[in-house]
Amino acid sequence: MSTISDLKQSISSSTAVQVVKDAIAKADSVAEYNALLSLTAERALDRAAKVDAGDITGPLAGVPFIVKDNFLAFGAPTTAASKMLESFNAPLQATAVERLEAAGAICIGKANLDAFAHGGSTENSAFGPTKNAADQTRVAGGSSGGSAVVTALDVVPFALGTDTGGSIRQPASFNGVVGVKPTYGTVSRYGVVAMASSTDTIGVFTTDAADAELVMSVMSGKDERDMTTLDDFFTPQLQPTSGQKIGLIKEFMTDDVDAEVRQSVNQYADRLRTAGHTVEEVSLSMLQYAIAMYYIIVPAEISSNLARYDGIRYGYRSSDVQTLAELYGKSRDEGFVAENKRRIMIGSYVLSSGFFDAYYQQAQKARTLLIDEFNKMFEQYDVLIGPVSPTPAFKLGENTSDPVKMYLADVMTVSPSLAGLPAISVPAGKTAAGLPVGVQLIGARKSDGQLLALAKSLEGAN
Amino acid sequence: MLYTKSMTQISRDDVQHLAQLSSLQLGDDEIDALQVIPTYQVSDRQNVWRNDVVIDYGVTREQLLDLSVESDQHQVKVPKVL
Amino acid sequence: MTSTELLEKYDMTIGIECHVQLATDTKLFSGADNDARGKSPNSVVSPIDFGLPGMLPVLNRAAVDLAIKAGKALNAPIANVSRFDRKHYFYPDLPKGYQTTQMYDPIIQAGYIDAPLDDGSTVRVRIHHAHMEEDAGKLSHYGNYSLVDLNRAGTPLIEIVSEPDIHSAAAAKAYATELYRLMTFAGVTHGDLYNGNMRFDVNLSVALKGAIELGKRAEVKNLNSFRSVEKAAEYEFHRQVALLERGEAIVQETRGWDDAKQITNSQRSKEDAQDYRYMPDADIPPIVLTDQEIADIQATVPRLPGEWRVLLKTIGLDSLQTETLLDAENEYRTTLSLLDIVEASSDNTEKAKFIALWHVNTFVPLLRDESFIATSIDYTDLITQLYDLTKASKLSSNSAKAVFIELAGSSELPDIESYATEKGYIQESDEGAIAAVVDEVLADPASAKAVADIKAGNDKVIGFLVGQIMKKSQGKANPALAQKLIRERL
Repeated sequence: MSTISDLKQSISSSTAVQVVKDAIAKADSVAEYNALLSLTAERALDRAAKVDAGDITGPLAGVPFIVKDNFLAFGAPTTAASKMLESFNAPLQATAVERLEAAGAICIGKANLDAFAHGGSTENSAFGPTKNAADQTRVAGGSSGGSAVVTALDVVPFALGTDTGGSIRQPASFNGVVGVKPTYGTVSRYGVVAMASSTDTIGVFTTDAADAELVMSVMSGKDERDMTTLDDFFTPQLQPTSGQKIGLIKEFMTDDVDAEVRQSVNQYADRLRTAGHTVEEVSLSMLQYAIAMYYIIVPAEISSNLARYDGIRYGYRSSDVQTLAELYGKSRDEGFVAENKRRIMIGSYVLSSGFFDAYYQQAQKARTLLIDEFNKMFEQYDVLIGPVSPTPAFKLGENTSDPVKMYLADVMTVSPSLAGLPAISVPAGKTAAGLPVGVQLIGARKSDGQLLALAKSLEGAN
Repeated sequence: MLYTKSMTQISRDDVQHLAQLSSLQLGDDEIDALQVIPTYQVSDRQNVWRNDVVIDYGVTREQLLDLSVESDQHQVKVPKVL
Repeated sequence: MTSTELLEKYDMTIGIECHVQLATDTKLFSGADNDARGKSPNSVVSPIDFGLPGMLPVLNRAAVDLAIKAGKALNAPIANVSRFDRKHYFYPDLPKGYQTTQMYDPIIQAGYIDAPLDDGSTVRVRIHHAHMEEDAGKLSHYGNYSLVDLNRAGTPLIEIVSEPDIHSAAAAKAYATELYRLMTFAGVTHGDLYNGNMRFDVNLSVALKGAIELGKRAEVKNLNSFRSVEKAAEYEFHRQVALLERGEAIVQETRGWDDAKQITNSQRSKEDAQDYRYMPDADIPPIVLTDQEIADIQATVPRLPGEWRVLLKTIGLDSLQTETLLDAENEYRTTLSLLDIVEASSDNTEKAKFIALWHVNTFVPLLRDESFIATSIDYTDLITQLYDLTKASKLSSNSAKAVFIELAGSSELPDIESYATEKGYIQESDEGAIAAVVDEVLADPASAKAVADIKAGNDKVIGFLVGQIMKKSQGKANPALAQKLIRERL
């Protein structure tokens, strides 16, 4: 797989236009994976020509990239993989996209996802699932399945995703690439279709940790258009701190977890020890409630953020409507997929009067206890590690009939999301059947630089 | 969103199923004993605001109205609101 | 049963919710222009107001400052920590499918206002709380379709919620009127009632006198004048009493006021009230204010009506004059300030009284004259000079008024004393000069009878002699001085 510097070298030795053309051709050649919903070829070539003419410059000048199709961008519709936004042409771009373009990078297309980012396999896309880069009978993971696959297939050196409860980390793990979920508030959410306002993050898929650092540092930083962004803090580090104390999360290493997954994690732990760090087992008692918390809080916030999709001002409007009530009801019924509707219903239920205290508020209180527990843990440990998912990529169709089983597979990734902590997935080997497995590194708030430095230091001997 | 009785049933069942699977006491005893404050935001920010100055967002009225299925007299058109 | 008898049999209980549009330049969470007056539809709408995917709110600092000021006017503490919540429902004028408001932690806590009634008494109405929220857009309806104008969507509001402390239509009107004065004096709103800057919802229930429980209440929404608040309350009281007298039940519902027919009519049943599923808004960090920060902002609030009433009473105005002046200040606030001059002289009671009464008796009637247009001259300067000349007895009050009316519409002020002298307004207060005229008149045979009457004890006739002196001096003699000289000689 190519890195950003590989691409920059190609641009120097040929042209940005050629490099972009090659990326587009590569994208077409892997169409069967259904990783892309659209190509923004015309705009991309136009910008590439400007790079060649010296009108567009920057640290990423001419480097092609792809964004998950829930980022508002020019050149193609922003569909969120949903019928609801199938023809929505955004009149503005997400901050993350703007910053990458300001650095000279060139967006060549929009990647497939679970519709509105609701899912963990990309099977909830209204436009068909994306296939795993290593095995086309298996899922790409989700919700940022398309972005993970185009990176793994070397279409582009990096692709943007969003991670609300694991949607970057899990597909990264399933496809053998690096996936970064930063500290909540690191990258502006402006211009990204909102899912859960208190856990949504913007991150990236890359082939190595150094590229992730570069892309994150371009995108990160305070944005006056998003009040939850943090003052600039992200600083890449050359070397990781030596002799770190690392905790291996016991609750994520039970017998319910695939043996090969545990083995990969244990091997990674050994490599950490060899590098001079200590790794010991730790326990977080609030983790047992994490799934319950997450699937109360997040659907509630989803039901709120999806209220604006009513077919009135933009997006899908059902054609056979006589009354306003029909306009709302039918547009939303036809525009959303089943999983969207399920989460909206759960969310509305837990927010309804009479249930708000028992469910939503109680879950947010449990969240406080989880955060406190993480904070205490990080007083003693520098990094926590564990698997990303209990299994490697499962077969297409395997989990679609049991949504709750799908929810339970998120158990490892949702807890850092609830706490707003940075967490990354790095490739940690393959199963005997050749399926990628990732290991998750979780850090304290704003320790993103340290996490990536640690990951960087262990790369190579994979 | 128009709800039907059966839809509400589905969501209640889902939540209770989740509750059983993860023994949803949610640490009730701990929570009540410690008088825990809910966390609604994990960004540590406060007092974030802007000055009272008009901003040009670079998006015109026509661009916005073009996004809708039907408009008239510079306004989005919907079936009559009763 | 007559109206009086009904009022004796039944109590009315009223609570009022008032939506006040804040006087900011931009909206609450978007930088779009906040002034929608006369603008074509959807011309002041940002992508945030339009509810596009991926849009996020950004709080307007000025709105927070105005809320803090409003708290002072409502005698209410400001919360050290306040937050925003989402109130969900579906309606085409609500682009996000939720309204951003403050349900759980409003910025303004419990307070009260004292509203003056026409008979000079006051009614104290407690404020339950007041919170910031954004306004919705506007729908207009045609044959089988409606059109959505989002110009107003996102406009910053404060909603003031009273306790049900109002027990008459007159008190309801007084409350609405005083709330208006408070919010305009504090600078919280421009107070443009025609453009809906303040809108009142009246919640009214009736119960038999002495009953412990309140009756079912109906809400009359969107009243935009004090008069309609009073009329709607009166109408509702009678409507509900009539139902009860017939043994029928009151339906808890929302009603609208038909100003043309002067009646309320049913709109939608509050019984089917929606579940708004209030949820804290995670896109908006909390507002955290120290007591010092609050005090600093509230220190910039100008003198409020209550304080003006105390000051003007001390100066010597009666309550009718006071209220006239306060209302005029609001009426002409955009072009000039009447009270500033009074304020500036407040350490000199006599001067302040002169000026205050000048406004009430001379300036305000002139302003209200349709043919008069105020200019940019310095009215403070003009009135102050007229005060000085009057105090120095160089101008009689009638002459001063005449000078004022002649000069008030000019584009430039001349030297006042020279002007008055030129026009012959300056009255002679030099004893020597008047003495000659006094002697002339006393010596005149026409005055002989009057002189005799005065010597005999009939003092009233002195007016005749003063009048003669005024005639002889072409109105320039100082009448008080003339009178004094007459008495000295007789």
